[in-house]
Amino acid sequence: MLAIAGPPSRTVSPVPPEATGAAQERAIVVAAQAGSDEAFSALVRLHQRRAYAIVRAIVLSHEDAEDAVQEGFLHAHRALDRFRPDQPFGAWLYRIMANAALDLVRRRKVRDADELPESIPMPFRDPAESGELRSRLRQALTHLTDRQRAVIVMHDVEGFTHGEIGRTLGIPEGTARSDLHHARAALRRLLQDMRSTP
Amino acid sequence: MTHDRWTTGDSELTGALRALYAAPADERYWDALEARILAHVARGDEHAGWYGELADMMRPGLIAAAGLILAASLAMVHSRQADARSAYATVISPSAAALEPASRASAVGDGDAAIHFILSH
Repeated sequence: MLAIAGPPSRTVSPVPPEATGAAQERAIVVAAQAGSDEAFSALVRLHQRRAYAIVRAIVLSHEDAEDAVQEGFLHAHRALDRFRPDQPFGAWLYRIMANAALDLVRRRKVRDADELPESIPMPFRDPAESGELRSRLRQALTHLTDRQRAVIVMHDVEGFTHGEIGRTLGIPEGTARSDLHHARAALRRLLQDMRSTP
Repeated sequence: MTHDRWTTGDSELTGALRALYAAPADERYWDALEARILAHVARGDEHAGWYGELADMMRPGLIAAAGLILAASLAMVHSRQADARSAYATVISPSAAALEPASRASAVGDGDAAIHFILSH
């Protein structure tokens, strides 16, 4: 894993692909499709933060998010010739990212079931995080379904709309809305004891 | 993009959620991640290329093996048909050697009958 992975900060916002302009991005995509490594690097640079945010919402740890992002970009590179440049590249890429993350979660579950059936996942070993709320929250999040967790993080942390979440995860917008409602209700219930403490 | 908070009382929780999931802030982290992604893609393509070449090499071999199996099967079927034809021919036109003992036995049987007839009269 990467040595310089610093502590997370909420001040970082994903680079919006719109910043480069749709036409410019389309030109980069076409160049990447023609085999330009430099163009593909540019696409990675443009989208890696948002890609990280999406996969981080789905997987349980920072390390898994890094793995999923790498795997997602590999899938995208292999499927690049099948992408139609008249479509929004970001939506296509983020769907691939979400699938890569969901696939990783499934593989981790199989592995964890084989190795440590009673263990509680402990994501992102950040030495600065010691607050009880954070600890309880992390544990409570493991009680949500993968999709509920992804939806609440994408919405409340990353600021995705219900429609964006639906398109990225391949679910109807109404389902994303419903998942969000149920995720919040479950977190409230799970953290109720602590929150009622003065 | 929307950021509708849960309630005022949930702000602490939302803050904790954001802190837990926030992306690394250090620019060097993203530079390094970009490098790792590109290296991973290059390795993946290399592996795919090697595997593709192997698959390309295997394809003619598989076709040749399939051809051999087909030829062997045809030869076996042909051989069985020849055996069946031979057995059928043996049944419908028995050889002289196969009929001879029967005729001789029949001849011997007739002689014995004649002797019995003479002796009894």
